[in-house]
Amino acid sequence: MKEILIIEDDQEMQEFYKDMLQGEQFTVTLASNADEGLKKAKEKNYDLVILDILMEGVTGDRIFAALRKDSRYRNVPVIMASALDEKTYRCFQALGNVSFLEKPFNKENLLGEIAKRL
Amino acid sequence: MFTSKKEIILNINKIIFSSLDIRDVYQTMSNELLKVIDFDRLSVTLISEDNNLFENFVLSKDYEDTALKEGVLYPMEGSLMKRVVQFREPVIVGDTSEGRFLTDVVLCKEGIRSRLGFPLEYKGKVIGSVNFGIKQKDYYSKKHIHFFSQIAPQLALAIENTRLFSKIKEAEKKYRDIIESSPDIIFECTNEGEFLLMSPAVEKITGYPADQFYRNRGYGLSLCHSDDQERVQNEIFLLLHGLRGILLDFEFRVIHKEGMIVWLSIEALPIKEGNTIVGIEGFCREITERKKLEELKNNLIRDVTHELKTPVAKIEMAVDMFERSLKTRSTGVPERGAQVQEILRNNIGRLKNSMKNILEISRLESGMEPLKVSNVSLNEVVKQVVSEMTGAATGKGNVVVNDMPSDLPTIRADREKIYQLLVHLIDNAIKFTEQGKISISARVLPDALEVTIGDTGRGLEEEPKKRVFEKFYKETPSAYGSGIGLAICKNIVQIHKGRIWVESKGKGMGSQFIFTLPLQRTVS
Repeated sequence: MKEILIIEDDQEMQEFYKDMLQGEQFTVTLASNADEGLKKAKEKNYDLVILDILMEGVTGDRIFAALRKDSRYRNVPVIMASALDEKTYRCFQALGNVSFLEKPFNKENLLGEIAKRL
Repeated sequence: MFTSKKEIILNINKIIFSSLDIRDVYQTMSNELLKVIDFDRLSVTLISEDNNLFENFVLSKDYEDTALKEGVLYPMEGSLMKRVVQFREPVIVGDTSEGRFLTDVVLCKEGIRSRLGFPLEYKGKVIGSVNFGIKQKDYYSKKHIHFFSQIAPQLALAIENTRLFSKIKEAEKKYRDIIESSPDIIFECTNEGEFLLMSPAVEKITGYPADQFYRNRGYGLSLCHSDDQERVQNEIFLLLHGLRGILLDFEFRVIHKEGMIVWLSIEALPIKEGNTIVGIEGFCREITERKKLEELKNNLIRDVTHELKTPVAKIEMAVDMFERSLKTRSTGVPERGAQVQEILRNNIGRLKNSMKNILEISRLESGMEPLKVSNVSLNEVVKQVVSEMTGAATGKGNVVVNDMPSDLPTIRADREKIYQLLVHLIDNAIKFTEQGKISISARVLPDALEVTIGDTGRGLEEEPKKRVFEKFYKETPSAYGSGIGLAICKNIVQIHKGRIWVESKGKGMGSQFIFTLPLQRTVS
């Protein structure tokens, strides 16, 4: 089974992820902040990372950059989720293999994006 | 030693053209002239552009103590010169004491008794005259006129050259002054990248002196930010190859000597010699400040958008989640219902709060709302706010302590605004404190009241300390709240002519928000 790591500090957003992804064909791990997310990423080789862009403490872009520094995650697909549109985050393109998911999204949007990236 | 008149004339003409400025060789010329025409005073006068004045252009060095001074303008009317110019012929004055001309009267007082005025013509136009003066009566005659007529045309030409030369020098100085005082970088460079001109402003803007650019070919390009080098190079290429006629408002970055990024906007044109493009010229304006403001504005728009879109997105997602639970009945519908209800209530609350704050700060910033000033007792307002907010504080295990001294003087202020100020500050303290203490205290300064809202909560690092009062700034972007509360506080304090700031020893060390409100003491 494919492993997905979701780094999202918002409790309500976590609930939405859980609800949308339960019973699907992958294992989902949730991390509530940057440190926890990076720690979990080291423990296991995830196949996909979903990141919230504006996050507590360290913002999503810096977690993303830190993740890419780790050789195992140099090319792992990353989905960035945000209430802002893709335009605002054009600079992330440089970090490679990244796509955007604008909030709000529904189950179909989310599964579709994951399927494309896995 | 005998020298023939012919030789003297030749010599004088040589002297006249030995300098671009006749004034430089005037004395040598007059010494030579003295060999054949005697005089005590020799002047060249020129007609002003409107023909009403004449300028005493140059005067013999040994005759300086005179009423008609060098470099000064005098009226033409009544002068010997007027007559010379009018009739285009030499005029002799045998005895100045007769007072034929106004200038005779002036010079007579200085001892000059006879005069000779000689017209200077250039391209058929009289431009001025040469004026001889001597202390002897009835000195000048036809033979002097005859002799000088062989020198006058050359002298006229030399004077015209001098005038032209001064004009060029003046224009050049003006041009140089503009370039040197311009706040923009004015430049010219060849298609080989060699700078022919680089104005001194470059040092102020980039930290590198202009001569560094003159000495090193292609130096400008090497200062460009690495991300912009290719774009700049490409634009220069297009200009040099005639593929672009003009470059307008092209923005790029250079790295200052001290390492900072400097934004420049360039305007440039190709320099043509015939049909060949041999270089480019133009100017660069520094726009770093403007760029910073633009970025600030963009960040602000981004933050407001995020703050308003996030709760709406979550409301939509919650409704979606509830609908799915109805369809699949996978989870207990009532449980889902309660969860969704909670999310909806939270986010509608967040949205309402954001909207309220945005409206409030807009009103404050517009400055249109008059203050409703009255005598306000801070003790009374603090008491009210503390009793209203203790519930929220105890919910997070916090105690609120009212440490206000009881004998504070009243202030002149808008009570409603002061109430809002305290609500925002105490609300903020509660938000970032858990199982701690929030205290409100005050002291009387010579001309103000100083109020401190202290907490034992999360505390602030240097960067957030500088930025907390900015609109929409949030140390934690996803945290609940609009990021406007403290901006509102700053506005309220400012319209009351007070000051507000924050002190904190760092993360986990708590914060003190302190504001002052001026005391208006009645002078007895």
